[in-house]
Amino acid sequence: MGRLKEFLRYPRSMPRLATVPVAIFLAVAVFGPMLAPYDPAAQNLLAVHQNPSLTHWLGTDKLGRDILSRILAAAQTSAVGISFVLAFALTIGVILGAVAGFLGGLVDEAIMRVVDVGQSVPSLIVALAVIGVFGTGFWIMVIALALAWWPGYARISRAAVTTVLRQPYIEALHVIGASPWRIFFIHLLPSAAGAVLVYATADAGAIALTIATLSFLGLGIQPPTAEWGQMVVDALPYLEQHPLEVIFPGLALTLVVVGFNLLGEAIALNKTPRPLPRRLLRLIRSEQLREAV
Amino acid sequence: MAYDQPLSRSPLLKVQSLSIALYSRASKVYAVDGLSYELEQGETLAIVGESGSGKTVSNMAPLGLMPVGVSADIRGKVLFKGEDILTCSIERLRALRGAEIGVIFQDPLSALNPARTIGRQIAEVAELHLGFSHTASEARALDLMKMVGISEPAMRMRQYPHELSGGMRQRVVIAMAIAAEPSLLLADEPTTALDVTVQAQIIRLIKDIQSRLGMAVVLITHDIGVVAGMADKLVVMYAGRVAEYGYAKQVLTRPVHPYTQALLNSLPRDTDLPGTEFRGLVGSPPSLAVRASGCAFSPRCHKAFGKCVEARPSLFDVHEGGLHTSACFASADAELEVGV
Amino acid sequence: MRAPVLQVENIVTTFPGSRPGSRITACDHISFTMNEGEIVGLVGESGCGKSTLGRSIVGLERPSSGRVVFDGVDLASLSGRKLREHRRKIQYIFQDAYASLNPRQTIGQILDETLRVAGEKDARRRNSKIEMLLPQVGLSGEIAARYSRELSGGQRQRVSIARALVMEPRVLVCDEPVSALDLSIRAQVMNVFLKLSRELNVASLFIAHDLALVHQASQRILVMYLGRLMEMGDSETLYRSSRHPYTRALLSAIPDPNPRVEQSRKAIVLKGDVPSPMSPPSGCLFHTRCWMKEEKCMHDIPSLFEGENTLQRSACHFASEVPARAAGLLSGS
Repeated sequence: MGRLKEFLRYPRSMPRLATVPVAIFLAVAVFGPMLAPYDPAAQNLLAVHQNPSLTHWLGTDKLGRDILSRILAAAQTSAVGISFVLAFALTIGVILGAVAGFLGGLVDEAIMRVVDVGQSVPSLIVALAVIGVFGTGFWIMVIALALAWWPGYARISRAAVTTVLRQPYIEALHVIGASPWRIFFIHLLPSAAGAVLVYATADAGAIALTIATLSFLGLGIQPPTAEWGQMVVDALPYLEQHPLEVIFPGLALTLVVVGFNLLGEAIALNKTPRPLPRRLLRLIRSEQLREAV
Repeated sequence: MAYDQPLSRSPLLKVQSLSIALYSRASKVYAVDGLSYELEQGETLAIVGESGSGKTVSNMAPLGLMPVGVSADIRGKVLFKGEDILTCSIERLRALRGAEIGVIFQDPLSALNPARTIGRQIAEVAELHLGFSHTASEARALDLMKMVGISEPAMRMRQYPHELSGGMRQRVVIAMAIAAEPSLLLADEPTTALDVTVQAQIIRLIKDIQSRLGMAVVLITHDIGVVAGMADKLVVMYAGRVAEYGYAKQVLTRPVHPYTQALLNSLPRDTDLPGTEFRGLVGSPPSLAVRASGCAFSPRCHKAFGKCVEARPSLFDVHEGGLHTSACFASADAELEVGV
Repeated sequence: MRAPVLQVENIVTTFPGSRPGSRITACDHISFTMNEGEIVGLVGESGCGKSTLGRSIVGLERPSSGRVVFDGVDLASLSGRKLREHRRKIQYIFQDAYASLNPRQTIGQILDETLRVAGEKDARRRNSKIEMLLPQVGLSGEIAARYSRELSGGQRQRVSIARALVMEPRVLVCDEPVSALDLSIRAQVMNVFLKLSRELNVASLFIAHDLALVHQASQRILVMYLGRLMEMGDSETLYRSSRHPYTRALLSAIPDPNPRVEQSRKAIVLKGDVPSPMSPPSGCLFHTRCWMKEEKCMHDIPSLFEGENTLQRSACHFASEVPARAAGLLSGS
């Protein structure tokens, strides 16, 4: 958590542009529905399929609902969905991966074989399988997606833990007699969580896309709750006459996914996803030079 | 080894007021500040210093051998056989490196390509810089391996670096450095990564090759023992500046600069019984990000007085008409000042 | 005569070799004792197993056989919390001070955590302990707010020592504590170390490759080569009249800073390199490089515990001849 706070405090450590699309998305997700001019569920059968105008900036859909309001509401739905999926997937993934890395041996083998299987099946198939068995619904979708995503996080978490375990400062903790619980929870888990969080931020775009895909198939977010994928499938029959109704939600989704991908790339290129206070940054640079000298 | 400077022949290597500032993305470091020395053919000069003294940069930067991401602003002159290598082209520099100037780095493992046999790596140098044919260079590699004392050279030629011990690897690196029979050898901490019982072997080897090929050697080290065993001349560096300079026999037996004295004092003496308190300096070397306006050593110097903090001492002659100079106000005779 | 605080008995520690199924013996039946307040030096070159021995004593490596007896208790007979409680009294100083300090914690946090592990539940008492601890190792209190990055090598190592002291150890194993430090600042750490072992009566095992340094710090010296003890005895006696050809070579490698002396003195220079631990020589491990080698040395393993002299032990078939033959070699025959 501390890392996340630092991350938010020093945005200058990463290329600023990459954070903008995601920042906009989050802002919209939080404030959008409040700023929406209309109730996203309010139907007006007298004003269906309207083109963008001054009253409806993005037009209306087949039931006369304001598209702009629906897109803003869908942003929130998306964000909520992504958040829950991440919360569950990260919790399961980070902990299982860390346990595997820490305990090693048979436990490690067992967990990693499950991870292997999990990773070999495409996320969409996993989600479809779960939904197929348990039916549709918001929470089922969230759990299905979490089950699809946790293996990847577990792998990263385990890698982070095994790297840290070899560090002398962990050995030092053993020597002073720190209990394995302390080493695991206070020292290993935070590093694992930090490493995974970094990748997770980039991953969010893929989750958004999968939620939209499921909703498109009618298996995700159910109407009347607005969701981009759902809006696209609703407007699909009218593609020829009213293409904008498909384009606007599609565009919103695209921007969000691309935004997250950009963020992910920026993080990967930066290679030091944990920003350090400037004082330390200067010290590191001069120490590197000193060592070269 | 004469005390008087030969007037007819200019020195093989002449460094004049070399100053190097290093830049990385966020900071600037004054790594070397006014280094000057001369080296004759066949002589050995040691540059001694601890971390942050500037000793490695002083030799690597002029040859263009700095790590990636660091650029250097170099001033002064480095005259090799009369030619200023600071102003020559990159191609010329590359041609010099290897053919005329051989380099031995500290860590032999990182200097060798792990994916190629050592025979190939040595032969390559001969091919590149001497224009030998494939067979000729292989023969040369074999000769060189014998010269550097590698046992069973024919068999070892086909081995890879990881199959050799540390001492062997260093011998391979030396073989590569001298393959083209350079007139100058730069050795950066050549024995630091080696076992104690192997260090003496390598020192002997370098000295042996030096006399056979008539090479001059610049030896960069923090190990005074190595200096005592090999060096004719000695430069003691502190915080990028020259603290003391002179013939090794004089500087090491009658050091004048308080830093040199402290350094020599830190060595355990034969007469120190178990339990004797250790001798050394307090504090740590200054950051090179700031150019000290006074003497860089003054904060840690027990002889420091007012002037030391205000002005930077230049190199003063220790005796009249000799090579021995020291940059210290406390031990200088002001009338014998020599410009930096 | 009080019982020794630490008894190492026939420790054997092995590692898997690079060839499948093979094992490297890093420590081959090492036995010695340490008394309260004593500083014992352990010297050797690369591959001799001195680091592994240190780690085996502290519990970072598990010996395949042998015992570590601390204060009369065989550590192998304990487990879980009891083992941890005993182990805390045997502390360890790492060679790389920087890597042994968590880069994400301030010095104060590192020491605070150590105190918490030691059982000090009261935060205020922990704070005051930290304030007392830092000056003991020659550091000022404001170090507590810094990160390890911000400290010099000497300061970092002193922090390591402070951390070890939190546990009030009876035994301190130091693995090359000053090797990575500049020559002129080694004294800062060495003197702290000497002072503390005297004042707190801690038994210390000082592991290094620099024999001159070890000689000045220790009362007794152990010399290791390829996993076995070659010589063991009083520091000054070993330094002046060693009875093992390997130790003699190590002593010969110590340079003299006077060039006139250094360039003209005769030294025992060993041929070849240290053999790979993967294929150790037969008989006496040192025979492949020994300047006194005889036929016998290739087949018979010399024992450290032979001979009448119980204070100065040498694992050499010709130990009694070593001083004379070394003198002969060095005087220029």
